[in-house]
Amino acid sequence: MTFQLLCFYAFAAVTTLAALGVITLRNSVHAVLCLVLTFFSTAAIWLLAEAEFLAVALVVVYVGAVMVLFLFVVMMLDIKQEPLREGFIRYLPVGIAVAAVMLAEMLALIGVRAMAQVPAPANPAGDSNIAWLGETLFTRFLLPFEIAALILTVGIIAAVALTLRRREGVRHQDPARQVAVDPRTRVRVVKMAAERGQEPAA
Amino acid sequence: MHADLLLAAWTLAKILAISVPLIIAVAMYSYWERKVIGWMHVRMGPNKIGPWGLLQAFADVFKLLFKEIVVPANADKPLFYLAPVLAVAPAFAAWAVIPFDQGVVLANLNVGLLYLLAMTSMGVYGIILAGWASNSRYALLGAMRSAAQVVSYEIAMGMALVCVLVLAGSLNLTDIVNAQAGGKGLLDWFWLPLLPVFVIYFVAGVAETNRAPFDVAEGESEIVAGFHVEYSGSAFAVFFLAEYANMILISFLASVMFLGGWLSPFPASWGLIGQGSWIWLFAKAFAFAFMYLWFRATFPRYRYDQIMRLGWKVFIPITIVWVLVAGCMKYFGWITAGA
Amino acid sequence: MLAEYWPVLLFLLVATGIGVALLIAGSLLGPKRPDAEKLSPYECGFEAFEDARMKFDVRYYLIAILFIIFDLEIAFLFPWAVVFTKIGLIALIEMALFLALLVVGFVYIWKKGALEWE
Repeated sequence: MTFQLLCFYAFAAVTTLAALGVITLRNSVHAVLCLVLTFFSTAAIWLLAEAEFLAVALVVVYVGAVMVLFLFVVMMLDIKQEPLREGFIRYLPVGIAVAAVMLAEMLALIGVRAMAQVPAPANPAGDSNIAWLGETLFTRFLLPFEIAALILTVGIIAAVALTLRRREGVRHQDPARQVAVDPRTRVRVVKMAAERGQEPAA
Repeated sequence: MHADLLLAAWTLAKILAISVPLIIAVAMYSYWERKVIGWMHVRMGPNKIGPWGLLQAFADVFKLLFKEIVVPANADKPLFYLAPVLAVAPAFAAWAVIPFDQGVVLANLNVGLLYLLAMTSMGVYGIILAGWASNSRYALLGAMRSAAQVVSYEIAMGMALVCVLVLAGSLNLTDIVNAQAGGKGLLDWFWLPLLPVFVIYFVAGVAETNRAPFDVAEGESEIVAGFHVEYSGSAFAVFFLAEYANMILISFLASVMFLGGWLSPFPASWGLIGQGSWIWLFAKAFAFAFMYLWFRATFPRYRYDQIMRLGWKVFIPITIVWVLVAGCMKYFGWITAGA
Repeated sequence: MLAEYWPVLLFLLVATGIGVALLIAGSLLGPKRPDAEKLSPYECGFEAFEDARMKFDVRYYLIAILFIIFDLEIAFLFPWAVVFTKIGLIALIEMALFLALLVVGFVYIWKKGALEWE
């Protein structure tokens, strides 16, 4: 078990260092990559806690999807490096206040959970915990699950409503119309008598 | 402690037993590609180096190794070197969960299928970073196209995996193969109940690996080589290795999930040829790998809007519907997962 | 359970090692003769001007956002697919409802033309 502990410390150290990198690196693309590393090593820590489905899902959803969007945005918004530092002192109090509130919330949540004494659900017979997770999710937590679907749908609609601007005057192909073309409306076959004109100049 | 070290060494040996043949397979696959496409074009293909040109790929590797790695002056140097490594690592690590035969698998993960999805979704980083780090227009254009395309097809691919999962009832790849076992040989495999999804999975796999006819990321005739235009020498070789390892991976996955892995296509009652063997798996994977080359020699490149339309407006709706169809099949017992 | 993951960790390290080894071998074996022309970014017949990093069509971001949402749906589908036979018909209906909500969003983006590439 010592090796497992060693791994935990190693991954925890990587997580912390990478998280530090996120807020200290000046190049925003490097910072995002540090965040990717943070998520990845967090997944490893979850794995050490035997939450295998959640760990791999973390990699799929956060590393594989969310961070790709971050990278897209950070790369292409062309954020210049110097101006980022300017408001540092000015925004510091607000930043500290937000951090303090978040810390308090987290502590409160942990405290509530500890007091509520939620019985730790027994993992049935060494089975993969994905089955157990699925059963709880689709019976006990059914309502939150369907609400999640609703939130995701709202997310889709909001994303489209906020970002989609149709550009005017852009030509594009409509394959349905292309396929539906009838040769008779495009080509006119004209019957005419062969013309008898002048002989071509020799 | 001694036993642990021994175990680690044994595991390392197993990993090398997968990686080294994989690297050789990539080399031979690139030779085979040139040969097959040559034949389809009524040409000879490589035939000078070694008997029938068999050593061509190895000559190419050595040539690439001895070439200069040119790093553009205004590139982001650390990321420029990181990108190929990020491309190749998941392409190889995904092989950890491929079952080659009953019980012959490096890591028999409970969440094998999800692990594969995680590894394929990480491949996109190599592409994006290569494009951005090179600080070149063509590279960046190729990277953006490729990234958007890869993530689009990943949805269809993920949904296809869910369909397989619904029928198999397990994320473990060995279990998935065993769920396709039955007395009837190839009629028991998942390609039959999941026929549309099977087609979608392989086509999405071709798009996911940025291969023809979905190779707008490279688009030699428009953006010269896309995201790896600035890569030369062994840095290019690493991208090449990742791309071909991914192609072979997709071929194996399609065989494992839809064509019953190592199971024999003949009924079990037919004696020896009715028995499962790794040879079947390799034969199936070879067939898929050949399809990649056949596609490349046959189809002209799609336009980008056509690619996106196919991914979003055809594949995703079909897979969403088929998840429920597969659910009904399983629930009402229209198909019975074997053994 | 963890015993199955050590090989995966080791494989990740080996795979990274393969990439790094090839890069190192290439930079050791290959020549190094840089010059200004060689190190300039690739261009077709004219000098490369200004930074290549530019703003992109918002459509790319939209694709990335939609991808996150669909990826999450897939993450929800995985545990469902494993257990729905155990829970029974109700699970099938639950997922039909879940997917129906997803399809509502999908129809919306389709009708809005967010999936058109012009």
